[in-house]
Amino acid sequence: MIQLKQIKKSFGRHQVLKGIDLQVEKGQVVAILGPSGSGKTTLLRCINFLERPSDGEIEIGGITVQCKRPSKSDIHTLRKQSAMVFQQYNLFRHKTALENVMEGLVVVQKIPKEEARERSIALLKKVGLENKLDAYPSQLSGGQQQRVGIARALALNPKVILLDEPTSSLDPELVGEVLSVIRKIAKEGITMIIVTHEMAFAQDVASHIIFMDDGVVVEQGSPVELFNSPKEERTRQFLKRYTPDGVYSI
Amino acid sequence: MGQHPFDISYVFEYFIRLLPSLRITLYIVGSSIAFGLIVGLLVALPQLYRVPVLQRLARIYISFFRGTPILIQLFLFYYGLPELLKLIHIDVSKTPTLFFVILTYSLHSGAYISEVIRGAVTAVDRGQVEAAYAMGMNGYQAFIRIVMPQALAISIPVFANVVLGNLKDTSLAFTLGILEITGRAQTIGALSQRFIEIYLSLALLYFIICFVLERLFFRLERRLLRFEQSAEAEQRLRRVEGSIFGRATSAAKLRNKEARL
Ligand SMILES: Nc1ncnc2c1ncn2[C@@H]1O[C@H](COP(=O)(O)OP(=O)(O)O)[C@@H](O)[C@H]1O
Ligand SMILES: [Mg+2]
Repeated sequence: MIQLKQIKKSFGRHQVLKGIDLQVEKGQVVAILGPSGSGKTTLLRCINFLERPSDGEIEIGGITVQCKRPSKSDIHTLRKQSAMVFQQYNLFRHKTALENVMEGLVVVQKIPKEEARERSIALLKKVGLENKLDAYPSQLSGGQQQRVGIARALALNPKVILLDEPTSSLDPELVGEVLSVIRKIAKEGITMIIVTHEMAFAQDVASHIIFMDDGVVVEQGSPVELFNSPKEERTRQFLKRYTPDGVYSI
Repeated sequence: MGQHPFDISYVFEYFIRLLPSLRITLYIVGSSIAFGLIVGLLVALPQLYRVPVLQRLARIYISFFRGTPILIQLFLFYYGLPELLKLIHIDVSKTPTLFFVILTYSLHSGAYISEVIRGAVTAVDRGQVEAAYAMGMNGYQAFIRIVMPQALAISIPVFANVVLGNLKDTSLAFTLGILEITGRAQTIGALSQRFIEIYLSLALLYFIICFVLERLFFRLERRLLRFEQSAEAEQRLRRVEGSIFGRATSAAKLRNKEARL
């Protein structure tokens, strides 16, 4: 359903993505692991053209875009196929939780306000925030903000949700609530690509793991294959840095 | 100095006599800020969107109006513009002086307002714009729905400075013979020779308008920024709740202990 072919991206002379191929099936949860600076964020941002890839081809749900010369409408159509959950939440600060979730439905999908409202309330309920509908982001904890971010992404009913380290800005005691929401929506069969440093979580939730380093996919496979018998030395080195109690050095 | 001994009762009398001219002062301020907003937006946009040549021109425009005294700008437009227009056979000799005054103040405050807009828009964090794009909004929607409301709220205090500055600058319009409050005060002073009294009432009048405007802007800011301020209020509330709850739970513990005893 999602296919990336030879995605390349350079910032100036620095090539950050060196030809990434990736395939994701409907309902799959793909976790991307890799050291800091390996290009994980850039890859996710290329999938919705927040970053314009220098070369390659992106296909999501039947929409194909050649990255070299994309038209404005290509980019627009492609963006509507996916939704993103950001490391820094990026909620609209002047809108309440409910308005944040409704915004895309009303403005982009042109759904009548009442209907959008009902759907958004249902989604906020799903992420456990039914009593925070009218709270502004500044009145919410990081964990709550990120759950609004997830509801906002779900609202758009996208083909795939892209999550970039959704828990790394959170205080440790708030990580659990966000992970459990992600776990819940993964069980509902929503397709996700998630960049994370939570190894146990990736092992548990992902159906497919990708290990990236220095702008290339070094190794990929099922969680069992990748965690228990990694083939590449670089993968082994990376996994070793994550001590059993989950403390890591990145 | 005046030939008369100071008499405070004149301060109040002159204050009343200045009031009719306030209409002109406020008219200059109101219209030049209104036009200034349009000019400011037009000058800010090419800089925000990095439009090659226009961006440069905008900077030159701003430097000129910020870098030269407004008095000289007034003279340049009042005496220079008609000469310039004569070259292309447009006669403006019958145009009222007030037109040139408002034109100058509009362009002048436009330069400052464009800087206010630019600063406020840049202050809205980029991540929210990306979130808007990621959900499929176009540039216009992201600007109108996400950036502008927040930029507006952020800009109020600086914008207030521009308006107050503009108000005080209008006191120079008398040099072209406009009878706004300062011009009026000078006439009264010349006739009565009671300079201290008249300038005291003039100062009082400026002060009162500024004070009222400041209050209005402050309330407006509070209103527009409620999405950030309520956070502090909420936190205070939570702290209060926390201490009450804290006490309640320790009381409950105490009761439990008693019950066990
Ligand atoms: N906008 C940018 N301009 C220049 N270099 C960038 C930009 N964004 C990312 N990079 C560089 O690209 C590399 C990969 O970054 P990133 O994708 O954020 O890695 P990761 O998410 O895996 O930590 C880093 O070396 C980073 O410095
Ligand atoms: Mg990253």
